[in-house]
Amino acid sequence: MLEAVWRATASAALILGGTCVWAQQVADPGFKSVGRGAPLAADLRTYEPVGASLIGQFDAPASAKTFVGLSRDGTPPPGIKPLPVDLFTTKDFYKDKALWMDPRYYRCNSSAAIEEMWGANGDRLIGPSGAASAPWGRCDRDYPRAAIVSPYKFKTAQEHYEALLAETRKRGGPTQHTYATVPGEWTGRYMHPGFTPGNAYWYRMRHNQVPTILSLLTPEYQKRMVQQEFHEGNTNAAQWPSQYCWPEGFMRRWHEYATWEWDITVTPSLVQILAGVARNFITNIHIGREFKMDGAVPRLGADVPRWYGETIGFWDHDTLITWTSNIQGWTVHGAFEYSNKMQTIEIYSPNHDANGKFIGLNHEAIFYDPEALVEPIRIVRNYIKTSGYEQGDPYVYIECNQTIFPINGRMSPVVPGSVIEYRVPDMFGRPWAQIWEQYFEKGMQRPADEDIFSFK
Amino acid sequence: MTTARGTVIGVALAAAAAATLGALPARAHHSFAAYDMEKTKVFTGVVTRINPDANHLQIFFAPMNDERKNVIRGEDGKPIIWAVEMMGSAQSAAEGISVNTFPPGTIFSIGLHPLRDGQHAGTRGRGGTIYKCPPKTPPAPGKHCDSVPGNTAYGTGGLPQPKE
Repeated sequence: MLEAVWRATASAALILGGTCVWAQQVADPGFKSVGRGAPLAADLRTYEPVGASLIGQFDAPASAKTFVGLSRDGTPPPGIKPLPVDLFTTKDFYKDKALWMDPRYYRCNSSAAIEEMWGANGDRLIGPSGAASAPWGRCDRDYPRAAIVSPYKFKTAQEHYEALLAETRKRGGPTQHTYATVPGEWTGRYMHPGFTPGNAYWYRMRHNQVPTILSLLTPEYQKRMVQQEFHEGNTNAAQWPSQYCWPEGFMRRWHEYATWEWDITVTPSLVQILAGVARNFITNIHIGREFKMDGAVPRLGADVPRWYGETIGFWDHDTLITWTSNIQGWTVHGAFEYSNKMQTIEIYSPNHDANGKFIGLNHEAIFYDPEALVEPIRIVRNYIKTSGYEQGDPYVYIECNQTIFPINGRMSPVVPGSVIEYRVPDMFGRPWAQIWEQYFEKGMQRPADEDIFSFK
Repeated sequence: MTTARGTVIGVALAAAAAATLGALPARAHHSFAAYDMEKTKVFTGVVTRINPDANHLQIFFAPMNDERKNVIRGEDGKPIIWAVEMMGSAQSAAEGISVNTFPPGTIFSIGLHPLRDGQHAGTRGRGGTIYKCPPKTPPAPGKHCDSVPGNTAYGTGGLPQPKE
């Protein structure tokens, strides 16, 4: 299905071609900046997906689609020596830690491909015999790690923001916009980022071997990601937070399916971005404000981590530079977890067509999380403006009413009036992992948690 | 018509109302009738989790035994966990109580009004002081964190007295 989406968006890109956005991976600020606009080390559009998948018409039966991968039924591909145990055959992935950084442990599948093997987004690739029949992806493919990590020298978001602010001041800024000068053409509705033609970015998790992604993470967060891979690929017990109406979390904003259209409203003091599918993503960018710096992390309001953080920003003419902090750590299914220390620097730059007409935004985001990431990473995307608010459906504020509950550790729609055994989730204690550990990890040698009752 | 005397009385009534209301959890989203506000239990316990939700910050904790050497455990050996409902997370943070100041493992003392039905939960209700012990430093047997040198106090009025 997703391959079909890729092909559909590629076709749309051809149809809509003629604008310069497709050639532009990162907005060129027109000068050498200390912290924005650095070219990507590799263009993802020239790379093929890593994982095993079926390609064909969206609504075609699986039998009519073409298999892409090295081996469909789990048989080791020619020329590849399989590991004695892998994600799909192991009884205890914790004991396999020495194998986690070998792509063969995942049968050379991407994180997205593993997530979809049981049919998460359509076609199922796992055979009747179960996880051991998982297909092999392409061991010879991988998007370079160098194109994922931040190209900038900064160790913290604060350093990055202050350097960009200083640079802007040298250029005569920050620009103090009024209602008369603020780039009002930004206000309006933007295309679904996941389906935006040419919007290729690595965080879709389709172009990397799992170990390449793991190499971005600290040991604790590597363990958490492998735990997720195991339960998505082996036990088929995916725990997508929004299926239970749990929060989506900050980083889901970058996932291809977490948001539909984006509504962006620009005023001199506040830029607001609204988006969502199962939950609301509301980004309020407070122009010209400063963070309090006396707490655990920089923040605007109370000492309370916020699901989508708090954001300040400034303008350099028609480029918006922001800093988000005070984020509640959470997870992104198919990707990886992040901590309360996550902070981002994001740069929104206008994209114009050959005639100079505003057509959308380039969004460069650099992620700092010293607890989860071994070094900062970067995601670059483009958004295409489709209309103003004068037309189209209005943004619908989403109230997520829970209809799906975990039954024996797996998601299940429950008929109203049914009586089920319900374990109250420990919302700030990795509730997804607690379900896995209760139902699917009995007997595993899971590393012990810190003993908080030891105080002799 | 408003007289000076009436204005003074009105201001006094308003101040009294504000003082009364201000002591209750502000802008409650539920009734407090489930709690027995005539009873006060005082615990010294170990934080297992703080949920910083907007409507209420909740502290989950394992009460310590009288010897202050361990937490109270059930027959299965697992700690017995209590929940105490505080004000909203932003209001609690203004008092200095947050996920950052009360991480798991924090030893603290608190007075709470328990649920009428006997379940292991209560509300902090009308306040009193919460005391946090220094890290990994429980009080002496039978004592609370207000007795431990180097404690941190949150709120006013001292540690509430138990009342059954």
